[in-house]
Amino acid sequence: QLTPSSFLRIGQLSNVDLNEDIHELETELPRQRPNEIPHNEKLLSLKYESLDYDNSENQLFLEEERRINHAAFRTVEIKRWVICAMIGILTGLVACFIDIVVENLAGLKYRVVKDNIDKFTTKGGLSFSLLLWATLNASVVMVGSVIVAFIEPVAAGSGIPQIKCYLNGVKIPHVVRLKTLVIKVCGVILSVVGGLAVGKEGPMIHSGAVIAAGISQGRSTSLKRDFKIFEYFRRDTEKRDFVSAGAAAGVSAAFGAPVGGVLFSLEEGASFWNQFLTWRIFFASMISTFTLNSVLSVYHGNAWDLSSPGLINFGRFDSEKMGYTIQEIPIFIFMGVVGGILGALFNALNYWLTMFRIRYIHRPCLQVVEAMLVAAVTATVGFVMIYCSRDCQPIQGSSVAYPLQLFCADGEYNSMATAFFNTPEKSVVNLFHDPPGSYNPMTLGMFTLMYFFLACWTYGLTVSAGVFIPSLLIGAAWGRLFGISLSYLTKGSIWADPGKYALMGAAAQLGGIVRMTLSLTVIMMEATGNVTYGFPIMLVLMTAKIVGDYFVEGLYDMHIQLQSVPFLHWEAPVTSHSLTAREVMSTPVTCLRRIERVGTVVDILSDTSSNHNGFPVVESNPDTTQVAGLRGLILRSQLIVLLKHKVFVERANLSLVQRRLKLKDFRDAYPRFPPIQSIHVSQDERECMIDLSEFMNPSPYTVPQEASLPRVFKLFRALGLRHLVVVDNRNEVVGMVTRKDLARYRLGKEGLEELSLAQT
Amino acid sequence: LLPVLALALLGPAAAAEPRWAPALELAEGLAEELWGAGLPGDLPELEPECRSLLAAFAEGSAALTGCLGRRARPVRLCQGCHGHYRRLLAQYGSIARAVGNSSESHNCAKSILTSDRLQIVVTLSEFFNETWEAANCANCLKNNSEGLSNSTEEFLDLFNKSLTCFEQNLQGETIYLTPNNYTEVCKNCNETYTKLNDLYNNLQRMNRQGGESGHSAHLCIDVEDAMNITRKLWSKTFNCSVPCSDTVPVIAVSSFILFLPIVFYLSSFLHSKQKKRILILPKRIQSNASLVNIQEKYS
Repeated sequence: QLTPSSFLRIGQLSNVDLNEDIHELETELPRQRPNEIPHNEKLLSLKYESLDYDNSENQLFLEEERRINHAAFRTVEIKRWVICAMIGILTGLVACFIDIVVENLAGLKYRVVKDNIDKFTTKGGLSFSLLLWATLNASVVMVGSVIVAFIEPVAAGSGIPQIKCYLNGVKIPHVVRLKTLVIKVCGVILSVVGGLAVGKEGPMIHSGAVIAAGISQGRSTSLKRDFKIFEYFRRDTEKRDFVSAGAAAGVSAAFGAPVGGVLFSLEEGASFWNQFLTWRIFFASMISTFTLNSVLSVYHGNAWDLSSPGLINFGRFDSEKMGYTIQEIPIFIFMGVVGGILGALFNALNYWLTMFRIRYIHRPCLQVVEAMLVAAVTATVGFVMIYCSRDCQPIQGSSVAYPLQLFCADGEYNSMATAFFNTPEKSVVNLFHDPPGSYNPMTLGMFTLMYFFLACWTYGLTVSAGVFIPSLLIGAAWGRLFGISLSYLTKGSIWADPGKYALMGAAAQLGGIVRMTLSLTVIMMEATGNVTYGFPIMLVLMTAKIVGDYFVEGLYDMHIQLQSVPFLHWEAPVTSHSLTAREVMSTPVTCLRRIERVGTVVDILSDTSSNHNGFPVVESNPDTTQVAGLRGLILRSQLIVLLKHKVFVERANLSLVQRRLKLKDFRDAYPRFPPIQSIHVSQDERECMIDLSEFMNPSPYTVPQEASLPRVFKLFRALGLRHLVVVDNRNEVVGMVTRKDLARYRLGKEGLEELSLAQT
Repeated sequence: LLPVLALALLGPAAAAEPRWAPALELAEGLAEELWGAGLPGDLPELEPECRSLLAAFAEGSAALTGCLGRRARPVRLCQGCHGHYRRLLAQYGSIARAVGNSSESHNCAKSILTSDRLQIVVTLSEFFNETWEAANCANCLKNNSEGLSNSTEEFLDLFNKSLTCFEQNLQGETIYLTPNNYTEVCKNCNETYTKLNDLYNNLQRMNRQGGESGHSAHLCIDVEDAMNITRKLWSKTFNCSVPCSDTVPVIAVSSFILFLPIVFYLSSFLHSKQKKRILILPKRIQSNASLVNIQEKYS
């Protein structure tokens, strides 16, 4: 199949045959090497496929629509609302579960270590406490890492890049399975309890998305249970709407920010957006926050008090001294610049590290060992910092959960320990709200430095964990440091409170790392419960994004690129108007005739070298040498269902009683269509004919060969297409544009770049 | 207007010159003051019963204020003033409950507590309540707030014992000694101090467990302050609690752990096989325009 095109290309370059003199070709054109290269960022993986958002308007679909009357469509609408409510409730419950388990397990761990340290401080032998702490951390993280590495690798990381890709229209294998949810929840509990520099907020978004995808289908293929409900929604188009609602519910549960959740879905995955969908997503978010609040209030013993919103609550910022004045705006903007630079540094270091991990640490056991080492080192660094710190604060009147005395006088605690000897969420809140003077600048500086590297090192490990909280923590630490030095410089004048600067620093650092704008502003605003901070937070995030984008891109986009995902950005690269569909498309195209021999279909589907998913259907012309006009488009999944049910022309004539295939048969097979190898077709059946005209999509989108890349891109992105047929002026198929053909063009440092395809 | 004036006058009278006369006498004095201010005394502005209740409250609050002030340092609020506080509560209660006998429409609660903007009696009583709660005194008193609770008594006993111990052991030495030479104290009083410390920690733990349902996690201020003073003396002045600092083993263990990742990364860099990707040649028409792009890239 490759021969025509390779000949074409070679013909233009030189006349040597590919097989005869590879060496010369290599020196001439490195791209021509058909062999192995080390992993790099300029690749697109074949592993990823598109989702089928485009509705196949075939005969069956029209029949079903005719059968379902107006009232039935109303029930569908009601079902959508019911599903959204269920998504909200379940996401809230999962968030509660994670919160409560983490709180108890982490409390247990810190109590054990604290008792041990207290015991050995008087007797001597603190190295044992260090070993105990490191071993506890490493063993907990080992469990968390083993389940991720060996059972479900897609549950690693925060899950936000994966959900972003899903909403963009890329099918990441296993990303919305029940198994992934279970591993994700257990994994995040274990990694937070294991004391890594991670948060549990990012994974909530992924969990919400999985819950949504699961509920909306009314069944679980992992558990092999079909509840026979919500069958109407077993399509990529419908599922995707619910997944965006789930992601919003996840954000809303994680931060207590329902509006932030809706805007997150809007910002990250809104190719198709309408008012009703937005309203439904908002409903799911609100339900999720509400569920979390009511359950947590019951757990904390004050039932029906609904004022404990979110997994992380930044606490109230409403006292008098927390206000800000116009003079402080330039200071905030400056903090945004610092956040952008530090965020870019973080991303650059993480990029380098991730590349190393992909190339060298790809075996699961190595990944587990790495995670354990990071956990042990995190404990060690924490211990050494606490050990060396001489910053003692009076224990009275402070609300420290696990005060470590160590070398402080009796009745005092080590202030470094409040930052390191605690879960990251609690540390963030402490940095925001502890009264001025709770930390000395040296402590904060050392903490920022150490935590920066630890967090950077931790992100990308094979554990499920988010980057939100570590970023907030780093930012809060240097922000507080900044605030303290500012009040020192201005001799303690109006801008006294360091908590405010801690908040701005946290926003700047997070913005610098993840580069989210609208949703992050609203999330921070809702999490602090203070609308007046909206303006400075917006300014800070804006500056951080502008400055950060000057150096490297955001962490999530970077990881998407490193995973070689064919991600479509909002627009085609700006300098690509000279490219036309003719150059972009893949050719030649494997076409099927309207009435095709079964054997041919089976052969085409079984061909491993070209696992195409959509096949243009052309007029069945007896003269096979000529390519005939386009009649429609049929998908691999449809063909497989047809073969499975043996819908052959001959059989239809034989037995008139045979049940007509309905749309339901296609939905039942969704989303895991059996592979072609599992379908048995006998030798006799290979000679039968199959009529595709009823099942194909009779009106696929097409473009002429002369259409420019941005034009094709716009059509493709806006409609969420998977296949776009390129036809000539006689309506004959000349090529096919798919996601990978478009995603490979990218604006690099030196103009337009082209990514190559690779098997991973 | 009149009640306002009467109450406004009462404030300075009660606070500026606290008199230890019987309440009724004070009430009459008030009436005289009213006369002195040029107001007719027989106006039905405050009934005699109410006047005496008010006077009793004024006296009680003066006594409590004095008690609190005198026992501010070292803090002995809860031990010394709980009687005063209880009495004041009762007086306030009787004002709030009392009904004048002459006419049903007027009662003392109304005329004393709510008939002016300032509402000084309410403010005073709120201040005392808040102070009492902030000090967490309920924590070291018995449930009916008569006297100290058993655990507090025990703690204070032990506290006095350790203070006596400190004094006895310090008597031989002069105060001009360098802070390092208190070894005698440290040796002899270690037992008492440890006991005291343990008891305090126990109390705190018990309180925290009980506090899940109820109030705050703090002990009452007397106990907290006593412990604080003792701890300061012990570890700062006497320098008794010298923790064993075993820096060498800690450095050894931590550098060992910090060394592990370096070994890990180096070995995986050297021994692990680098993951290769197999390039797939796309099926594509190669035209001049894209060739230009690609050649640009590699030039």
